[in-house]
Amino acid sequence: MGKIKQIFQNIRVIIMGIVLILAIVAISPNPFSQGVAIRSVTPNSSAAIAGIENPPSSIWPMGRERIVSIDNNPIRSEAEYYSLISGLEPNQTLNIKTGKKLYKLRVKEKVNTTELNESEDRVIEESIAVNETIDGTVQEINRTIKRVIRVPKIKREVLGAEDIGLRIFDAPVTNIRKGLDLQGGVRVILQPEEAVSEAYMLDVIATMEQRLNVFGLSDVVLRSASDLDGNLLAIVEIPGANEEEVRDLIGKQGKFEAKISNETVFKGGEDITYVCRSAECAGIDPARGCGITESGLWACSYRFSITLSPDAAKKQAQATEKLSIVTEGSQRYLSEELLLFLDNSQVDSLSIAADLKGREVTDIQISGSAGGASKQEATTNALQGMKKLQTLLITGSLPVKLNVVKADTISPLLGEEFLKSTLWMGIAALLAVSAVIYARYRRMSLLIPMAVNIIVEVVIMLGVAALIGWNIDLASIAGIIVSVGTGVDQLIMIADEILLGESQEIYDWKRRLKNAFFIIMGAYFTVVVAMVPLMFAGAGLLRGFAITTIIGVSIGVFISRPAYAKVLEILLRE
Amino acid sequence: MAEGQKGMLQKLRRVYEEKLHILWLIPNILLLIALIQIGLQFSQTGEILHRGVSLRGGFTVTVPTNQEFSIDEIQDSISRAIAYEVSVRRLSAAGAQLGYIIESSVDPEKEGNLELLLAAIERNLNMNRDAFSVEIIGSSLGSAFFKQALKAMLIAFVLMSIVVAIYFRTFVPSLAVILAAFSDIVITMSITNILGMKIGTAGIAAFLMLIGYSVDTDILLTTRVMRRQQGSVMDRILGAMKTGSTLSLTTLAAAIAGLAFSQSEVIRQIMVIIIIGLVVDFIATWLQNAAIISMYMKKRA
Repeated sequence: MGKIKQIFQNIRVIIMGIVLILAIVAISPNPFSQGVAIRSVTPNSSAAIAGIENPPSSIWPMGRERIVSIDNNPIRSEAEYYSLISGLEPNQTLNIKTGKKLYKLRVKEKVNTTELNESEDRVIEESIAVNETIDGTVQEINRTIKRVIRVPKIKREVLGAEDIGLRIFDAPVTNIRKGLDLQGGVRVILQPEEAVSEAYMLDVIATMEQRLNVFGLSDVVLRSASDLDGNLLAIVEIPGANEEEVRDLIGKQGKFEAKISNETVFKGGEDITYVCRSAECAGIDPARGCGITESGLWACSYRFSITLSPDAAKKQAQATEKLSIVTEGSQRYLSEELLLFLDNSQVDSLSIAADLKGREVTDIQISGSAGGASKQEATTNALQGMKKLQTLLITGSLPVKLNVVKADTISPLLGEEFLKSTLWMGIAALLAVSAVIYARYRRMSLLIPMAVNIIVEVVIMLGVAALIGWNIDLASIAGIIVSVGTGVDQLIMIADEILLGESQEIYDWKRRLKNAFFIIMGAYFTVVVAMVPLMFAGAGLLRGFAITTIIGVSIGVFISRPAYAKVLEILLRE
Repeated sequence: MAEGQKGMLQKLRRVYEEKLHILWLIPNILLLIALIQIGLQFSQTGEILHRGVSLRGGFTVTVPTNQEFSIDEIQDSISRAIAYEVSVRRLSAAGAQLGYIIESSVDPEKEGNLELLLAAIERNLNMNRDAFSVEIIGSSLGSAFFKQALKAMLIAFVLMSIVVAIYFRTFVPSLAVILAAFSDIVITMSITNILGMKIGTAGIAAFLMLIGYSVDTDILLTTRVMRRQQGSVMDRILGAMKTGSTLSLTTLAAAIAGLAFSQSEVIRQIMVIIIIGLVVDFIATWLQNAAIISMYMKKRA
């Protein structure tokens, strides 16, 4: 009994215990969690108007808002949700109860408007400024007048209820995010607007991949394909992400241009050498911040700085050289503004200070804004918009515009069955390993700590994955298998060195373990360096594998192995 | 029985102790054969591995239907019909089923493969092919990925060698460790080639796992021989072998359990490669690395 007490009082065991508890908190498993979780809310949909907020994509799975009931009918699964939502009438009111609060939602009409080939007169109200003499002084006042204009006739048909704009999925039971091959995601097929060669298409795909990576979406499958008529296509599969994000990131050509008096001075991609993404020079604009607009919605401004290449700076200097200086109040500006265009539509205009005339400026601040129903949502949207713009600036434009042909939700390649079979496999492997170890040592005092150690290590690995938002996919499972495999190897080495010391009557435990840890550290360093090049080799599979393996073996070597060695020392010491 | 077993073990031990310098030939010959096989294959096909077209090439057929099928069943039955693995996934929008995507990595260049696949899908889903949409996925992206993977493996190997060299700081023992790991991977690769295994993405991961597993036993051996003072060199090798075989046996047991319990083709490929690799590693570590280090210690003494 004394030994057990000793074990739990040991600092290394306590550290492992704390890490284990933190891991469980990070995973926060709740097998009884019910309802459906909200994946995304379509902007301007009935749901968004009712105040349901679009969750940021970085949110923890268990932290997502859950729909508990609709009109007092409990929602337990995706199927129940869709069966309730299917027969909606326009202008019907829904009471959606989530884990957070109760939303009253009015179903929008789905309207089809067509412009007819005839026109009609319409009376509109207009506000004009007129000068009037009031009490002897001339004042400018606004007066509303009625005016008749001719507009094309519009036919308006109500087609039924509009989609309420919620994308949902069965409520997760843990914080562990599953990868594309285990959970499914969105599958988007894109077609280039004009015919391109296959090599060209691969360039396009490489840019898209870089874009998704810079944006922070890992675990993406990008493939080039062709249909039977020989048209080239790009197929993109992304886990859990919402369609709008995919459309924005890869459906956009992302042609970013800055123009002064209609002349392009720099473009996204090669002309921009650095885009700041750290907190000091990117984020919500401290000078402008957030505010309520006239329509009652919140809007937030963001800004970030970029650095231009010397060539682009020269071009800009040449353009500003020709401009004249205008004075506005106490400020002096150049006669033309720097206009920023994204895919041919203007996104921002910047006044250029007079002293920059003809100077080569490399640092430029880009700004923009986004709105939302609450301050928090507007902030989230602004930051998200900033991230998208930054991504486009870094990766440059796609060589050709792509149109989204199809976007569907796709079930996983491996799915539930695979997970179940992997779990069984894990249990079978653990039993098989235990049998070998017992056959070799015939001591429970070696076997039990070993088995506990293996299980603890897997839990900690999953906890870290949940904490850093890592997607568990096939490659990660392979990485976990390697970590556990080398982990078992190391546990046996420790046990053997201890037993060897016992037989050779070495009483100094430090000496007994010295060789074991020498071997373990050697094996550790070799595995880590072997994984580093894989982290940088293109495809997601290798990266996922490498990162999971490095995390796994590091947890083993620095947390669970020292605890194991100490437990054996306590148990086996006479 | 136990006596007989002990006798056998002792005999084996004697053979090992006395003839290690001859047994050393086995891994070297295997390595040579493997290098020749891979070289020949490379000169003929330009590839050192049979790359499964599954490295992202093949067909995807989209079948629009709201009829529900069991994914596992149609997957099995189409796979059997075309004698090639297919994967089936469900497509949906807003909770309603739109259809299925059937993907197969059967060679798209080969005439007749598409016909076979479409016919099998028609039969299994009871539908006419007019409704299907077919996309052909070229293997060009696959080969780019494949090249990158091989390059990464090569760099991984070089970095690993540098760490081993820094760790042991003696030339011959470090070289022995690196050679053993190299032999393990090359011989395993050649065996998968001879077995005609088509290496997919999972296979690449398995080869990477082998680097880790094979270095474990080699470092164990070298450390025990070089850093321990007690007993003769042969005693230390045998002691290390006892630990080393436990390592290999546990991994082997886990891999066999995995093979037996997993229905997933992906996991199976990983397990088969690991099992082959472990057996080869046993030979490479205890016949090659051990022979080199024992000769080295003899010379030094």
